Amino acid sequence: MSDKKVIAVVFGGRSVEHDVSILTGLQFIEALDPTRYEGLPVYVDALGQWWTGDALRNRTGYPVTSPNDSGLQQVHLDLAGPASHRPRFSTRQKGMLGEKTSVLEFDLIVPAIHGSNGEDGTLQGLLEFAGIPFAGCRTLGAAATMNKEFAKTAARQHSLNVLPELTVEKPAKGLFLDPEVLGRSLSDALSDDPFPLIVKPSNLGSSVGVSKADDMDGLVASLMTVFRLDKSAIVEPFVPNLVEYNIAVRRAPDGNVQTSAIERPLSKTEVLDFKNKYLAGGTPGGPKLNTGPSEGMASLNRVLDPEELSGAQEAQIRETSTTIFVALDLAGSVRIDFLCNSKTSELWFNEANTIPGSFAYFLWEAAKERVSFLSLTSDMIEEGFRLSSARLGATDASSGGATIFSGE
Amino acid sequence: MADQPTNHPDTPWHQTTIGDSGPSFVWLHGWGQDHTAFSKLAPLFAANGRHRLFDQPGFGKTPIASPEADTRDYADRLAKMLAGSGPHIFVGHSFGVRVSIQMAAHHPELVSAIVGIAGAGLQRKRSLLFKLKARAIKTWGQTTRALDRLLGTSLRSGFEAKFGSEGYRTAGPLRTTFVKVVTEDLSPQAAQTNCPTCLIYGANDTETPPEFGRRYAALMPSAEFHELPGFDHWDIMNRGAYQCEAIIKQFLSKTLNHD
Repeated sequence: MSDKKVIAVVFGGRSVEHDVSILTGLQFIEALDPTRYEGLPVYVDALGQWWTGDALRNRTGYPVTSPNDSGLQQVHLDLAGPASHRPRFSTRQKGMLGEKTSVLEFDLIVPAIHGSNGEDGTLQGLLEFAGIPFAGCRTLGAAATMNKEFAKTAARQHSLNVLPELTVEKPAKGLFLDPEVLGRSLSDALSDDPFPLIVKPSNLGSSVGVSKADDMDGLVASLMTVFRLDKSAIVEPFVPNLVEYNIAVRRAPDGNVQTSAIERPLSKTEVLDFKNKYLAGGTPGGPKLNTGPSEGMASLNRVLDPEELSGAQEAQIRETSTTIFVALDLAGSVRIDFLCNSKTSELWFNEANTIPGSFAYFLWEAAKERVSFLSLTSDMIEEGFRLSSARLGATDASSGGATIFSGE
Repeated sequence: MADQPTNHPDTPWHQTTIGDSGPSFVWLHGWGQDHTAFSKLAPLFAANGRHRLFDQPGFGKTPIASPEADTRDYADRLAKMLAGSGPHIFVGHSFGVRVSIQMAAHHPELVSAIVGIAGAGLQRKRSLLFKLKARAIKTWGQTTRALDRLLGTSLRSGFEAKFGSEGYRTAGPLRTTFVKVVTEDLSPQAAQTNCPTCLIYGANDTETPPEFGRRYAALMPSAEFHELPGFDHWDIMNRGAYQCEAIIKQFLSKTLNHD
């Protein structure tokens, strides 16, 4: 038997960021050290069904329209196996003598699903419950960073600079909000003359659903768009002369928190939305080729370690991102995003992405202390094994002196 | 591919260098490509040695050395250029592996190890039916050439358009070389290759299937074989670069420590 660890990389998912997640998952599998690990691609389709098979490794096979015809095998995660056993998927195959169930064992899961049902702590919670080792952030960190309002509240508690915001809940009926009520809420939370504003879903990433509102009509329209994707929105003042900076953070194998190169994404538009971020090298419908035209976040047009950043700004970005990483007990490769007014140089913490596009490997490869994608994947996997095994101590009732039912 | 005049045999090949210390690496690209074929893979080894990425004659910025050249000629010319240096670690892709094997067989003093990615140079095992079809096509090709010569017809161009491979059709002034290359069998040279050799093939490679790697590994006394799932003949060089990096670094660590 091979002594390589089997690493199941789970991507796709019931998320609006489904397609970006496919690229991130495949990139991770392709950067696995084949001398130590064996990659197992696991695709979660839009209905939430899990599939595996070699055909998943090719970008040309997406979108997956007919899994059975593509030679894919549906798998079910075994959540109820004994904790001491190797994690496994079960599969059912039709044969001459009826349906046969077989198992597919693995050692660790790498969640590569962006946004809801993957990056938000739900998958992590499921895996922790089942005692299945996994890479990246634990349940708490993933859930805390997914909700933008919660993450900003945590940042404020650590005296980090964040923009004020108004959280708007989706109405109980329909999508339309009363402009008068909205106007009063904006006055209380922001100012009497708050426009222009930026509107974002509270719980999505990849800049999906992000738009600018120049007046009340625009705000109502933006909120209606968000409420098709999320149950709440956050509304923030639009930063004039806006530039964005991103940085990745991780805990290095020596235990120290390490930061990457800093990037300034290049955008032709005022707001860096999904199209600008992920389709910089291609068009919707792509990628059809195994290399490009879009490689997700990795093919974004960017400036690395931009010269205009002062020493003080760079220090603020590195210190803020480290503080967030430690405060929320994050893990894996996390990307922290900042907003900046380029005229005043003021910087605000914007959001933390615990499963960033392409796992932000391009930022690590450009870091002063370079981390190759190959090392990054290995380090994330080994960290995942460590964190998962360290999670629980003894769980038998007698070890806590809490035995009620005795065998005698 | 360059459509250039024949070059003087001793003209140095165009090269790009990466890294400035450590063991010497020679990188040889595949047919129809140039040194940029290694633009994803080679930088991953920048800190591990001194790397020379060549454009082989007839490709990139190096003019054709001889329109009649075969892989042995390529190796001999390279050996002349490298004489007195090395030994070097050869990293080849496809056609570059052919030249690397010729180097190891005929100029072993210049070769300390070979890393062959999607290496070509063996003949496929074909069915009898395939062989019969191939023989018929070959005979028809010879016939069209003879008829064109005797009767002034232009049957040959139609034959080439229908039956010639893309490599054959686009070989231009390197067509003779191309024909020699694709019909050669480097089994005897592989058997003479005593240096440590690392053979990497993509599981989905239809141009040089993993079966080539297994056969080479059986012929070469110090070869190891790796098959990487999910990659084909071309994308193993970019999407597969990190996996190649891991295997090559493990191989080099064994090889260099052994030395």
